Parts: sequence; C-alpha cells; structure tokens
Amino acid sequence: MKNEPEIKAPDAKLFLKKFDAGDSSGKQQICTYCSMFLLACFLFLCARLWYLQIYRGEEFKKLSEKNSIKYIRLQPFRGNILDRSGRLIAGVKPSFNIGVVLKEVKDVEGLIAKLTSLLDESPTDIRMRLVESKNQPSYLPVIVKRNASWDEVARVEARLFRLPGVVVEVAPARQYPYGTVAPHLLGYLGEVSLEQLKSGNFPHAVPGDLVGKSGIELKFEKELAGRSGFKMIEVDAKGRMVKVLKVKKPLPGKDIHLTLNLDLQLAAEDALSGKSGAVVVLDPRNGQILAMASSPKFDPRIFARGLTRFEWKRLNDPIRTPLVNKAIQGQYAPGSTFKIVMAAAGLNEHVITPYTTFFCNGSMKLGRRRFRCWKRGGHGETALYKALVQSCDVYFYNVGLKLGVDKISKYAYGFGFGKKTGIELPVEKPGFVPTRSWKRRRFREPWQKGETLNYSIGQGFLLVTPLQLARMMAAVGNGGKLFKPEYILDESPVIESRVPVKPAILARIRKILVGVTEDRHGTARTCFIKGIHIAGKTGTAQVIKQKKRRESEKMGWRYKDHALFVALAPAANPQIAVAVIIEHGGHGGSAAAPVAKEIIERWLKLRSPKPASILHRKL
Amino acid sequence: MLNKRLLKEIDYIFFLTMFFIMTVGFINLWSASTAAGYPFEWKQLQWYVVGCCFMVGAMSFDYRKLSKYSVHLYIFTIILLILVMFMGKSVSGSQRWISLGFFNLQPSEPAKLLMAIIISSYFAREEKEKFGLKDLIRPTLLVAVPFLLIFKQPDLGTALLILVIYGSLVLFARLKMGSFLIILGSCLCAFPLVWKLMKPYQRKRVEIFLNPDADPFGAGWHVIQSKIAVGSGLIFGKGFMKGTQAQLNFLPEVHTDFAFSIWSEEWGFIGAIILIAVYFLFLLRCLDIAQNARDRFGSFLAFGITAMIFWQMLINICMVLGLLPVVGIPLPLVSYGGSSVITTLIGAGLLMNVRVRRSLFQS
Repeated sequence: MKNEPEIKAPDAKLFLKKFDAGDSSGKQQICTYCSMFLLACFLFLCARLWYLQIYRGEEFKKLSEKNSIKYIRLQPFRGNILDRSGRLIAGVKPSFNIGVVLKEVKDVEGLIAKLTSLLDESPTDIRMRLVESKNQPSYLPVIVKRNASWDEVARVEARLFRLPGVVVEVAPARQYPYGTVAPHLLGYLGEVSLEQLKSGNFPHAVPGDLVGKSGIELKFEKELAGRSGFKMIEVDAKGRMVKVLKVKKPLPGKDIHLTLNLDLQLAAEDALSGKSGAVVVLDPRNGQILAMASSPKFDPRIFARGLTRFEWKRLNDPIRTPLVNKAIQGQYAPGSTFKIVMAAAGLNEHVITPYTTFFCNGSMKLGRRRFRCWKRGGHGETALYKALVQSCDVYFYNVGLKLGVDKISKYAYGFGFGKKTGIELPVEKPGFVPTRSWKRRRFREPWQKGETLNYSIGQGFLLVTPLQLARMMAAVGNGGKLFKPEYILDESPVIESRVPVKPAILARIRKILVGVTEDRHGTARTCFIKGIHIAGKTGTAQVIKQKKRRESEKMGWRYKDHALFVALAPAANPQIAVAVIIEHGGHGGSAAAPVAKEIIERWLKLRSPKPASILHRKL
Repeated sequence: MLNKRLLKEIDYIFFLTMFFIMTVGFINLWSASTAAGYPFEWKQLQWYVVGCCFMVGAMSFDYRKLSKYSVHLYIFTIILLILVMFMGKSVSGSQRWISLGFFNLQPSEPAKLLMAIIISSYFAREEKEKFGLKDLIRPTLLVAVPFLLIFKQPDLGTALLILVIYGSLVLFARLKMGSFLIILGSCLCAFPLVWKLMKPYQRKRVEIFLNPDADPFGAGWHVIQSKIAVGSGLIFGKGFMKGTQAQLNFLPEVHTDFAFSIWSEEWGFIGAIILIAVYFLFLLRCLDIAQNARDRFGSFLAFGITAMIFWQMLINICMVLGLLPVVGIPLPLVSYGGSSVITTLIGAGLLMNVRVRRSLFQS
C-alpha cells in the first residue's frame, strides 16, 4: 500500500532521487537560514517604511501638498510654407485657446454658464466639446474655444482665479499673409481624431492638437509638426505658479519651400474666382508646378476651430465641390484639346502628313449615323493647320478612323493619360483611357466605330485631370518628356517616361498651335498677347449627351459644357504650360482662354526685365 | 492528474495569501488606472483569470517530467529571446516585446521562470555533496546565453535577476567555502566591467540612485517622486483614489513598476505593512514547499521559483522606497503586465505541484 504511489508515478524510476539523510539535513539547514533571511528582509522593509512614512512622513506630506509640480506643454511652431522665391504662403502666429481641465472642475454646468457669458460661444457648443472629449485623459485641458479674441482672453484672464480648471493656452495657429492661397494644395489643419491617434501616424500628438488633414499639411505632417517642449513649474496648493523649474524648448517644424510662384498662383485664383474649375501651370523644363488652383476655394482656418453645420453643408456642395482639388481629382473629357494627341499620333504613325487634306462639309456619315462638326457649314478642304487652328471635328474623325482605337489609346497612354502622374499628394485620380478590351469587359459589347469618332475629338469615355492636360502640354513643349509633377523646390526633376512621338513632330504641332491664338480664324484669339507667341488649344467637353448639339448657352448652368484651354508660352522655347478648365463655362475659347491669358500676362510681367535695363544693355 | 488524494495536500494559506495579493493588485490598479487614463484593472483581471487557468494546468501534471524536458525548455527560451531581437517591438529604446496580436509577450518574463526550472533540473541531476568552481562552469555557461540576450535588449534588471536566481540556486546547492569566496571576490572585480557595458541611461540611474538630488527634475525624478508618494501616505494613507502624487501624474509608471508606491500613498504605513507581511507569509509557505519536497528536483524547483518571486518583490519594493536604482522589475501579481502575471501564476502552480506530489514519496 505504501509503495503504491511510487509505482503509479509515471517517471518514478527515472527521476526519483530522494535525498539521503545528510543531504536532507543540509537542505533543512539552508531553508532555515533562508526563512531567517526573509524575516530580516521583512523587518528591513518595515523599518524603511517606518522611516519614510512616519519618521519623515510629515515632511514628505508637505512636499506632496505644497510643492506640487505642473507640466505645461509648450506647443511647437509649425513649419512655414513658402513659395519658390521664399514668400510666406502659410505661416504661424500665436493664438489663444481657452481650455477646461475637467478634473479640476466641480460644478460643470456652473462653469459652462460662466464661460458662456465670457466667450462668444453658445452653451451647447461648449457642452458638446466637453462631452466629445470624454475619452481623453482628464488632466489634459479640453479646448472649448480655439483662437480666442483678445477681448475674450482678457475677460477670462481677469477672472481666472474664480474659474478653477480653466486654462488659457498659447498655441500657434496658421496664418496666411496673402489670404487663403492654394488651400487645396496646401491642405488644412484640424484637431487630431481618436482614430488618427490610435493609428500611430502621429506619434507626438496629444488630443486637442492640430494636425494636417489634407494636402501638403498632411503629406509633410512629420516635417512640419515639430516637437513639443514643456515647462515645469512649481505651483502652490491653489495651482498658482511659484517658480519655473525647468524649460524644454519646443522644436519648431521644418519650413517647406514650394515650387509655386505666388504671383501666378494668385493670378490663377483671381481669374477663377466666381467660377468653378481648375488651373495648373507647369514649367515644361522640369515638371515643377508653378500654380495649382481649384475653384471654389475654401478657408482652411475654419477647420481648426470646428465647423458649423452651415459651413459643413456649404463645403460639401455636391455640384461645386469646394473641398475637391479639381486640378488632380477632377476628371473631365478633354474635348478638342485631345486633338493635339491625335495630330501627333497621326503624324507619327504616318497616316497623315501635314498636307493631307480631308473635306469637311459640316458632318461625316458613318453607317446610318451622322457625326457633326461643330461648324455647321463645314470647313471645306482642310489640312492639319486649319484642322487644329479651327478645331475641325471631321478632319479628326478621319484621322481617328485611320488610326483605330488601339493606336489612339496607345498614344493617350503615351501622353500620360489614364494613370496617376505621380504627384506626391494623397488623393490623385488617374483619369481614364478606354480600350477595346475594357469595352468588352465592361459592357459585353465590341467597340463601335462611332465611338472611335467620338474618341478622336476627346469626347466619350476618355477622362483626364487638369494636371494631366498641363503635363501633356508640357511634353509637347519640351520635346516629349513627361516629368513627375513636383511641388517641392529642392527636389531634382524626375522624368517618368517619354512620349512616343518624334520631337520634330511635337515641334511642328507647337508651331501650328500658335495659329490657334494668332490666326484670324483661330479658336482662341481671346488669348492673343502682343509680343509673345502662344501655342494653345481650346476644348469643349460635353456634359450631357444629346442627340443633337444644341446651343449650350441657352441651357441651365449645370448643363453647359465644360470649357478647356491648354497653352504653352513662349511657343518657341516654352517656359510655362497652362491647363485651364472652367466647369460649365461653355466654349473653351470664350471661357477658358481668357483665364490662361491673364496668367501668361502676369508671367510676362514677372519675366520681362524693366525697359530701362533693356536700354542699358543696348547701350 | 490531480486526484482527490493530491488535492488534499493543497496549502490553503498559500492560496489565500496569493489571492490576497492579487486582490490588492486589482484594487491598486483601479486607482492607478484613473491616473493613467486607461482601464488597466480590467485587463489585469483578464490576465489573472488566464494566469489561474495556466496555474491549474501547471499543477496537473507530474513536475518531474519537466526535468526530462529541460533541454527542450532551454532551447525554447533561447529561441524566444532571439526572436525578440528580430521581431521585437521597440518601446522607448529597448526591444522587449513580441507582438502576438492579442497580446504583447515579453519573453524575458517567462525566461525568468524557465531558467529557474532549467537550473534546478541541472543541479538536481548533478548529485554532489558540495559544488566546487569546476562544477559550476557548465551551468554558468548555460545561464550566460540568456543573460547576454536579455542584457542586449537592453533589460539590465531582468538580466541581473536571472543571475540572482542562479546565484540563489547555487547557494542552495551548497558551495565549497573556498569557491564561495572566490566567486564573491570575482563578482566585486567584475563590477567595473559591468559598469562599462551599461548604457548611458542605465549608468545615470545608478548615479542618480547614489545621489538623487543631483538632477531632481531629470533622472532623479522617479526616485524623489516615489519617495514623496510613499512618505506622504503617513500611517493611514490618503485614501483610495486620493493619492495626489499618483493622481496628479507626478508619479510615472504607476501601473507597473511603481505600483507599490501608489499603494503606500493611498493606504499608508498600515496598508504597506500588511501587503508586505502577506507577501512574506506567502514566501514562507513557498520556502516550506522547497524544504519539504521529497526529491532533489522538486526541492530545487520550488526553491528556484521562490527565489524568483522573492527577489522581484524585494528589488521592486527597494526601488520604490529609494533603496535601489530604478530597474524595470515588476512587483509580482501587483504590477500590471500580462507576461509577468501569467509567469508568476505558472510558477505558483508548479510550486503547488511540488507540494501536492510529495505524498507520492511517503514511505
């Protein structure tokens, strides 16, 4: 019976190493020592506790009560955003935030009532903000009023001692010395959300901080943000500062130098004001963005203080879409501006020569359908020059038929359509280039010849962004190089790809396009500027399909065609490429070309040396 | 398996004291969590429950099997520690955690327990009356590998803890007097070398410990604030959730390393003494298991685990009371941390395992 357990234990034979008598007694001895050691340690710790809590307890108690120490977070200055010549587009200025440390507030409702009388803020707004902050640590102040006015700050400061828990913080806020320049490109700041804090992309942010929410502010958040510092102060039992103990200065964010030219940007935004649309100005020589405007614009500052419902509704207007950066997110049919690609493709594939003529009698019949030219009476015998300058549709129907959809798509891709340009912004759209196989997949129908005709004049499925259009124009101007659009000044230019067209052909087209602005019959004579040759091309993109094209001017604004214009100046050695789109603007020549003209004129003014200096040189 | 006869042997004082400590840990975390702004107490409760399941598991098999698998356990430990070097999550400069999705494992925690088991198993096999220097070469090498791996993380506290556990077991295995003196001497000589190997911040902590007032608002902050917290508790404490030091965020890490500090602040001298007393009662019961184990391995194992818990407790409390430099050693079962809680509870399970199976040897 007594031996049974030994047999039961599975590994008994292997591991049963019982102590022999001597070993066992040795072990007993050690364990006794250990118990004594434990007891000694216990007494030792008791003694230490007695020393700290009783012998010196009062002293420590006083220390903990009277000499409390508070940290004050010092917010860093956000990095500035500057234009290419160093002008300040977005800077910072100190602003005052009024916050409430909930932990120190006993009577919340009473405090809300008091704050309402001091601040220009409704009690419900204040209450909402306090409620929304339930998830953040209660020792951090909840900001109830951002960017408080001097009056408000003075009123609160004077009564601070009667408002326990209320703090006035100095926080840097964005300021825009030239007004809200390029808000879509720059982006806006907003209070960091809980999801963003959890995502770990904002490692140094605490609830209540402003972080970049879109555009460059978001893309370069890390560089712009800087690091906060702190001030350690000794406070008495009532929380009043006794002395400053330690200061760690905040590390300001880095400045960002953009390629934008503030003058051109302002010109573009002025020209667009009141309209809905976008402008992109590129330097064809290196792909730098000189201006990028989208209209209507918004005031980025309102996001920081929190939007009212009315503002939110206005910003989310589904038709004018003020929040959308139309320069990279707007996708439009290129209309006749696509004829540049068609001409290049036709010449490069040898389906036409500059002297090939087609006869335009106002329309073209294909099967039972009639495809009209925009000019009812027709252009008559038309060669390439006339076709581009007067934007003859029938001519390009013929070129399209000769090329076929596959070739057209190949060149569309070649000019950078249908894929993202690679600009370092988070929300770029790729546009769209249709193909035969896509049509089959999508509609389970073969590609129709009539669709090729529409395609040839830039209508139908093809969609491009204004940035892509500007880049296409830049490629025409620089001999076929497609640069990655760059908005950071110090970055060196990157050639993404080359247009599959011989440079000589591009030069030829460029020459012809001068006629668009200068020829007596040119479609964009509105963009003629004396003293400089401008190569341009108008475009009109249909918004709704109609059996018959009616005069769109007579219809409601929403059904009017989009007006497009692309330009290069000077035509001989292009230094700027401009793409303009005016949503529902009507004709490219009447609505979009004048915008481009204003920009080019501004550019000329900047560029041309003063007359005196010319004289001087001649002398 | 656990049958009725084995269960009869269960030490109720052992469990009572252990659960008391866990309760204190939970209550304390409740208060610390409001200060830290994160509900650590419920997560900790989760770890307690998971840990207790593991504890029952650790009781249910015959502990002698562990000795058989000690090589496997050793390899497993090394792999874990190497893994953390490559896959580890880096938190404020040290790479200590492996993310398992639902749980961030801190391999240096189970490594403490595993090393206690491995060393015990080694000494249990080497049946010697007393050990000399030569006999210690192999086990020392055995300990050196995980020590260095943890040291590299860098986690000086845990690395040294493993050495201390090893040292305790060596003493338990009994040393020849001469060897003992030599080791003591060489340890003293090795101190400058360790000093050189330490990272600047670790050195700073030791310097600060020796002279906390040199940099009161920098590195000395922890020590001073902790002492103020403990000291200001007086006899009865400031009351639950009323510790100003902790609640106003003067104390860092209130939920982990400085848990005892908030306890002493809020429950005073009496609360602190009661907790320490219960802790020592618990440790005495553990020691009793080592004393009354009927085989060499059981005895060593129990002693090793006891040493592990004891040293962690002693180091942590001494650190909080400003008697030792700040090292990242938790107060077992009180400090927040899944790895630590589960490891300690598995250790407790093994201890009880040794105790209940001593009946198997009665002859």
